[in-house]
Amino acid sequence: MLRKANSFPEEVLEHVLSFITNDKDRNAVSLVCKSWYEIERWCRKRIFVGNCYAVRPEMVIRRFPELRSVELKGKPHFADFNLVPDGWGGCVYPWIASLATAYPWLEEIRLKRMVVSDESLKVIAKSFKNFKVLVLSSCEGFSTDGLAAVAANCRNLRGLDLRESEVDDPSGQWLSRFPDSFTSLASLNISCLGAEVSFSALERLVGRCPDLKTLRLNHAVPLDKLANLLRGAPQLVELGTGAYSAELQPDVFSNLAGAFSGCKELRSLSGFWNVFPGYLPAVYPVCSGLTSLNLRYANIQGADLIKLVSQCPSLQRLWVLDYIEDIGLEAIAACCKDLTELRVFPSNPYGAENNVSLTERGLVSVSDGCPKLQSVLYFCRQMTNAALVTIAKNRPSMTCFRLCIIEPRAPDYQTLQPLDLGFGAIVENNKDLRRLSLSGLLTDRVFEYIGTYAKKLEMLSVAFAGDSDLGLHHVLSGCEKLCKLEIRDCPFGDKALLVNAAKLETMRSLWMSSCSVSFRACKLLGQKMPRLNVEVIDERGPPDLRPESCPVEKLYIYRTIAGPRFDMPGFVWTMDEDSVLRFS
Amino acid sequence: MRNYSKDSNHAAICCQMMKSYIWIQTTDGAIQQVEQEVAMFCPMICQEVIQKGMGSSKNCAISLPQRVSPAMLSLIIDYCRFHQVAGRSNKERKSFDEKFVRMDTKRLCELTSAADSLQLKPLVDLTSRALARIIEGKTPEEIREIFHLPDDLTEEEKLEPLKNTTDDPRIRLLNRLYAKKRKELKEREKLKDVDAEEEHVDDRSVDDLLSFINGGDGGMLKCCSTRLLGSRKSGQEILCSPMIVSFLLVVSDLDDNKCEEECESLAGLKPYWGQEIFSDSKGIKTSKNKKKHKKRKDLQKCAPSNEAIETHKKESNAASSLCHNAEVDHELQSSLGEKLKLQDVAGEIFAPTVEFDDVDIDDEIDPALKEEIDREVEDFARILNSDWPERMQELLSLGQERRPAHLSVNGNGALKGHASMPSFPL
Repeated sequence: MLRKANSFPEEVLEHVLSFITNDKDRNAVSLVCKSWYEIERWCRKRIFVGNCYAVRPEMVIRRFPELRSVELKGKPHFADFNLVPDGWGGCVYPWIASLATAYPWLEEIRLKRMVVSDESLKVIAKSFKNFKVLVLSSCEGFSTDGLAAVAANCRNLRGLDLRESEVDDPSGQWLSRFPDSFTSLASLNISCLGAEVSFSALERLVGRCPDLKTLRLNHAVPLDKLANLLRGAPQLVELGTGAYSAELQPDVFSNLAGAFSGCKELRSLSGFWNVFPGYLPAVYPVCSGLTSLNLRYANIQGADLIKLVSQCPSLQRLWVLDYIEDIGLEAIAACCKDLTELRVFPSNPYGAENNVSLTERGLVSVSDGCPKLQSVLYFCRQMTNAALVTIAKNRPSMTCFRLCIIEPRAPDYQTLQPLDLGFGAIVENNKDLRRLSLSGLLTDRVFEYIGTYAKKLEMLSVAFAGDSDLGLHHVLSGCEKLCKLEIRDCPFGDKALLVNAAKLETMRSLWMSSCSVSFRACKLLGQKMPRLNVEVIDERGPPDLRPESCPVEKLYIYRTIAGPRFDMPGFVWTMDEDSVLRFS
Repeated sequence: MRNYSKDSNHAAICCQMMKSYIWIQTTDGAIQQVEQEVAMFCPMICQEVIQKGMGSSKNCAISLPQRVSPAMLSLIIDYCRFHQVAGRSNKERKSFDEKFVRMDTKRLCELTSAADSLQLKPLVDLTSRALARIIEGKTPEEIREIFHLPDDLTEEEKLEPLKNTTDDPRIRLLNRLYAKKRKELKEREKLKDVDAEEEHVDDRSVDDLLSFINGGDGGMLKCCSTRLLGSRKSGQEILCSPMIVSFLLVVSDLDDNKCEEECESLAGLKPYWGQEIFSDSKGIKTSKNKKKHKKRKDLQKCAPSNEAIETHKKESNAASSLCHNAEVDHELQSSLGEKLKLQDVAGEIFAPTVEFDDVDIDDEIDPALKEEIDREVEDFARILNSDWPERMQELLSLGQERRPAHLSVNGNGALKGHASMPSFPL
């Protein structure tokens, strides 16, 4: 075969690469050939590590000497449902310590589901002279002392985002630690903080930062003070209110409405804890421009909700409680033609009673009326195959479909059949589906559909579904792009797992809890697949005290080039050659 | 005689005399004039004129860098000619640029290189962005193909990932060899004649396999038994103990119908994912999975399965020896991690109905060994806690009926459903 001369102008490769920022593309570039690998690694500025145990920090540092931005994820997603016991791991300190020495010019750190100590925050505060962005998403382990260190030392901080983290906050005074000369803040999200912050410090901070575009307050910021903040930052694009209630006083109301009117750039609203409906009209002036509205904590009843949402024709993203009901969703379908993402949360998930009239019909309306709908998260109490088929046909362009029927194993309430056909229609029609969550009564059939049709599926969440190993086998053998699979309470055992062992190396991780995978199979997998960490998580005690055939409580398998980790608590065992010897 | 032409000529000459030109020499030796304001748009030319006083006449023409061919110069001059005009709007310029970069990749590369050597930054940016757009969304193979780049990375440099592609010529070679082998088997079947060479090859593979079983440490095995290969398309490697291997051997089935199937990713390499660790990336292309359901006859003793099993051992010499076809390159063997899909196999294991083929497998196995294998199969079934034959009967009789979910009992009451948070996945 004739080899043509290399036609790519390598002298400009670095410049060309400066326009390629997407992780996947950078990875592809680095695998083209030796010279591209070298050039790429020297100019890579940003890195995403989806599993902090998949690689060691030293490996990252050795390969990418010029990083400016690091993003890490720790615990598996099911940690959000308390399925990962406390102490499992995900501690970020070793990473921070290594990064501190290697990258004095690091600017951004983003962490999700990791354990972050105050010590880590102090190291961050002291080590990176040009530190700009800190995002701690669903993290825990730190207090406001750590935050105070960041505030005091990071002179060029642009973003501090604590979304959904658990923060031990004894002191609201940490905000005062931002020096008076500090004016670079562009984004502040403290919505997860429980305690009050010093309002005067907050007000001064907001007032002196002209680039502040995102401000998400916590519950403790009172409504009557909100206007002050807004007037200090009329350039805000994203706002999260505090508690949205106060005694209805005309002057407070008009002050607030006036302040909102002044925020011409506002596009996103959230917060709305404890809403007093009488104050809702204060936000009407900004509704027409809103693209994102998060009312997931707003205990607003149907009529007020509909009135509010109907004022927002530009809405692209809506998060709301099921108080919206079917009728509200119909209104949304009629009004919000740009809607791309809808999340409907349950107001009363543990109650047996159905307190709201939210059924499958609401979702069908939205699928019918909103042509740009791509992402759905829907909690409800009843569903039918017919509705799912209709939704699938209405909306074949969905990329994320998560349906959570609250009662496990609930069948089609009209035909009493499993919901296999309905979900089958979803995966068959939505060819670009990347994320799927199943619920309701499901047999192995649904997994056959998924394995056959869901060729672009990357993440699948399964609970209380399936009949046998065949179900799991369909998914593992059929879903070519599968990256994350999380399963709980399903009758999946050893066979499907062993038969598809090689597949596991192509995925980021597999979580199985309350399934039927035996200890023996775990040992086998761990022993034979050196590039997987097979973690048995069992709070009943060491698995070798029970027969080998006994199913393990929880199993977390992830690919790694870092080998087994050494920071496991007493209830986690990594299956590898050594441990197998120990156990036999 | 028409005087006006003389006049217009005269006018033209006057115009020409008022303009200044820069003399430029391209790599082919040709010299040309370019309007000054246009040429000076290029920093490199600008520099030559101002700092070195070049370009004012034919004798001191500015020599362009080697990377600027005459064709590229022409393009660059067009670019400069447009952009050096002050009055144009941003919209106009953008529109021009968009049209300007529409050219084949080879020219685009040349142009980028030329613009870079002339230090014409706006054009470098424009062409670089265009190249970036070409690169985005492509796989490494595709990028190599487009730009004719060598495939010279070692495993270590990729952080030990392994490629997974069905387009690799070595895989295609293997596929062809396997297809050929299957064809031969089929012919043998028709003739009902034992081809000495075939038999020899078969035995050898079985022997090798057995030596693994007998002498092995229970590690994973890699083998390309013709029988195991016979039917299936590629499957994933099975992680097995010798017991499982023997289990599979016993139930291996040579359904002739399946011999016809394409073995697409039969010898697919293991997926590379060292890169994936650094990305938001989702899976890589695994071997294509043509899921076909075939009607199968009732399963009698054991589920048929029919797959090559793979070992992780670096010393994959065994693989070479196991490979029944001598043509296969040894080097090929050691560098390939074979990945065989078990999809149909497993389908057979789990599916309600199964089909046996006509070939009597037992003929090829030593009876004593067969007995041992039968015993091991029972052990295996017991160990997996599955009442294998009974379960298969059950599956057969139930057919499509939904069977009650089988939940494991464990100590933490996780069966109960709701954890302290909603139990459903989000």
